[in-house]
Amino acid sequence: MKRKLLTGNGAAAWGARLAKADYIPAFPITPQTEIIETLAKWIDTDEMEGRLVTLESEHSMITAAGTAASTGVRVFTATSSQGLLYAMEMLYTVAGWRAPLVLVNVSRGLSAPITLEADHNDVMAARDSGFLQIHCSTCQEVLDGVIMAYRISEDQKIRLPIIVNLDGFYLSFTREPVELPDKEAVDAFLPPFDAGNIKLRANMPESQAVVVLGGSPYSYFRYEMHLAEMNGLNIYESVAGEFKKHFGREYASVESYRTDDAEYLFVMMGSFATKAKEAVDRLRDAGWTIGLLRPRLFRPFPAPTFQKLCRGKKAVAVIDQNLSMGKGGILHGELASALYGHNEMPTILASFIGGLGGRDISTEEFFEMANVIKRSFEEGSTPPPRLLYTDEELREIRKLQTIANVERNSLKGEQ
Amino acid sequence: MNENIKKLKDLPSTHLMGTGTPMCAGCGGLEALHQVYDILGKNTVIINAAGCMTLLSVYPFTPFSGSWIYTAMASAPAGAQGVRDALDILRKKGSITEEEDLQVVVLTGDGSAYGMGMSATSGAMDRDLDFIYLCYDNEGYGNTGQQYSQATPHAAQTATSKSALGFTGYKKDLFSIWAAHKPAYVATVIGSEPLDLAKKIEKAKGLKGPKMIIALSPCPTGWDFDPSKTVDIGKLAVKTGIWPLKEYIDGKVIHTKIPKKRLNIEAYLKEQGRFSHLFEPTRNESLLAELQKKVDTYWEEIENG
Amino acid sequence: MYRIRFHGRGGQGIKVTSRILGSALFMNGYEIQDAPRYGAERRGAPIFAYVRASKNSIFERGIVRNPDLIVVADESLIPLPAAAVIQGADEHTVLLLNTRIDAQTWKERLNFPGTVLSFDAYICFEEQQDERFTGTACVGAASRLLGLFDKSILKEAINEELQEMKSEIIEKNITIALKAYDLMEPYEHCVNSSKKTDALNYVKPHWVELPFENARTSAPVIHATLTSENVPTGLWRTLHPIIHYEHCHRCWWNCSTFCPDSAINVNEESFPVIDYDHCKGCLICSTICPSHAIEVISESEARKRMEKKEEE
Repeated sequence: MKRKLLTGNGAAAWGARLAKADYIPAFPITPQTEIIETLAKWIDTDEMEGRLVTLESEHSMITAAGTAASTGVRVFTATSSQGLLYAMEMLYTVAGWRAPLVLVNVSRGLSAPITLEADHNDVMAARDSGFLQIHCSTCQEVLDGVIMAYRISEDQKIRLPIIVNLDGFYLSFTREPVELPDKEAVDAFLPPFDAGNIKLRANMPESQAVVVLGGSPYSYFRYEMHLAEMNGLNIYESVAGEFKKHFGREYASVESYRTDDAEYLFVMMGSFATKAKEAVDRLRDAGWTIGLLRPRLFRPFPAPTFQKLCRGKKAVAVIDQNLSMGKGGILHGELASALYGHNEMPTILASFIGGLGGRDISTEEFFEMANVIKRSFEEGSTPPPRLLYTDEELREIRKLQTIANVERNSLKGEQ
Repeated sequence: MNENIKKLKDLPSTHLMGTGTPMCAGCGGLEALHQVYDILGKNTVIINAAGCMTLLSVYPFTPFSGSWIYTAMASAPAGAQGVRDALDILRKKGSITEEEDLQVVVLTGDGSAYGMGMSATSGAMDRDLDFIYLCYDNEGYGNTGQQYSQATPHAAQTATSKSALGFTGYKKDLFSIWAAHKPAYVATVIGSEPLDLAKKIEKAKGLKGPKMIIALSPCPTGWDFDPSKTVDIGKLAVKTGIWPLKEYIDGKVIHTKIPKKRLNIEAYLKEQGRFSHLFEPTRNESLLAELQKKVDTYWEEIENG
Repeated sequence: MYRIRFHGRGGQGIKVTSRILGSALFMNGYEIQDAPRYGAERRGAPIFAYVRASKNSIFERGIVRNPDLIVVADESLIPLPAAAVIQGADEHTVLLLNTRIDAQTWKERLNFPGTVLSFDAYICFEEQQDERFTGTACVGAASRLLGLFDKSILKEAINEELQEMKSEIIEKNITIALKAYDLMEPYEHCVNSSKKTDALNYVKPHWVELPFENARTSAPVIHATLTSENVPTGLWRTLHPIIHYEHCHRCWWNCSTFCPDSAINVNEESFPVIDYDHCKGCLICSTICPSHAIEVISESEARKRMEKKEEE
């Protein structure tokens, strides 16, 4: 095993290569493009077997990914943001076909206004589709995540497609040391693709993805998809356990960082959660008993694990790097519904929105969030959700607005 | 090129498409499809886009002797790409034999082919995908109640063009758009000319690359005529010159049937309720003349080379 | 509240039928809800429509589970499970059938818990073509059974719902509806509203925990070929083609090729044979047969001939 400096995109490409993906339907989009460029190069130079085809849109790309998997080959694909949304119809469709495949999403904020940097609204939009979701916070996790994802997706008890998510720029273009497992070690962990009972062959004709009319039959197929996805809770654990045995690295469905004796918790996903670890360490130095919970598995939602890990805690700050317009932080809502009604759950579940479009979250902001939930616990009342934004930032945007010829009046706060 | 079918007697006498589908009685699209299916055989996988034919298979009923997969409205050719690539990968690996391989066939209506699916079709042709594309063209969005599509002919009444003038747009020239991609083959066919259709499908079967077929599909429900007239109306479409039977191959367009003495298009239009406003309560002479002129101009250009 | 369900085939105007009734009731001061229920839009395929009418707000939605009145415009639907014609009927339900067979026979055949009434829509027609107004005849009859509004309102409702059509057609519909209305005089007001559901003594729903089943079973895939042949589309027929073999020249490449539904097979002697389980009665075969060997009769006539044959 060797440690190399890899970007998140590079790690994703290595994951696909080590998993011996047969078919890579592709379409370029920032900040994912390096993944398909890397794979294309390897295929062109015979370092990797496999076929990469550029489709004319992400909607077509996911269609091709799904039909190829339904025919019977191992498929890898990647996209971001607008591309993921353009394909959204097919995400739901392909999951309904029960086509196993790995889709790497390099998270990027959504239009409008259009931007290039990371947040999680794109991948959150796919949460109801039937795709499982694994969220990574390091480049190592990306590579390992792709390999584990194939085991999970192709498991006969699941047979659903899976998204492995990494943040644009902060992981996709950032190099970190990554341990590259040996080919043989990966082969021992991940067997070749087994099409199982759904495939296209001349000698066993099938009509796939057919119309289902009637609420009762339709409900059956949809519920079964959900049950299959729920099997992901157990299967993730067993695959992660095996991964640890083979490679020595442990990936619980929810990472708990210094939470055992913690009274207060941060809950956060993705690469920015790494920053929360720094904040935890500094707060601990200052005498706090605080920790971080970082879900890796977002779909299926690891509710039982969260119930266990939140039991007896006083207050929780959920930091969402996404915003459901008209409601608030998505992870916050998911967590609240998972914890409600269970015994000894934290009295305070506070919502913070930060990091949209890659907006940085400073360590001081983490300290302040910790103080907010502590005060709230002492006062016994949940604070309103906070959109993380500073006075300096507001002044900055006013300057931009001046240039953009917004009326002077509004600078003084008048209508 | 395998051309076994020379006379009508050579047409297959057993049919691969099963009965019991919910297509309308007298469906011109089904008529063309079942003829095509007989020539292609059961080692096929049909990749379908949303349209009337999507209802061919409703769980647990399927009329196919081969395989089928329904995708979405815009991306059937992309679905075909995935299947073809996967089969090629499996062949290369030796995981499947030639006998287990499948012909990849895209089946869509005009709604998808002339409109929403154009991007995916163009991409597939651009990538020189080895597949057959069969468009059953009933000149409107049939499955949703015959609203106008980009295939609707000028002056036709549809659910969204009900004025006395009918549809004010013009039928898109899909044949030329497809031919501009220089695929292996493009052809127009119609179920009422089974020999012409069979020869073209046989020819297509033997070629590699994109083989693009448009089948005009007289539609009793959408065009408003008695189902028993589907074949008659198809024959009139050819005899009046409204539906030219032609193919594009090796860079040239060849007409496989040139009507010697073209009937006046009224013979075709009068049979269909969707054109009745051209005759009742009064004849719309200017529209009729315009429609006739279009057809005349087309054939004059053909005759003059 | 009154709950009425109409059953018919695509092309028989069942949607308009239900709307005529809905309009009439609305005009007479009722709150109403009317809706057709489509699969995909097909001529010949079974469709149903329902009407709810109440003097109060209607707090129901969707299909009518417990109909007070079921009206069947096309008796060939009755044996079709998919048409679910008598679903939800109980002792209080009135079943009105467009049929020539007497009500008692139907009641026994169907083991129907409530009242069965027959009426022959043909009596209301002036010519064969009027068959397309079967739905209107049905709503005329249904209106009398409900007894909730008079002829003038029925006429007004027809004018309202058919206003886009030519006046001769509207007149014809009115004539047919009123004839049916008169025909049903002996049964006026025989439809009763069902009792309100009892929240204390109700039949518990039999909820189950759905077991996980692997994808072969639980994905929408049909692991078979030609299962569509289980669907008897022959029941769509209203007209019946018969091959007269003495005139048949065995040019099967015509009829067998042109039949869109693959419903004409070719036997060992090269004669075409019609598959009546599936023939939809489009009559393309009869139209294009070069030797005019295919006769067309009505489906009811064909059934009569069949019954006669069976007796012999």
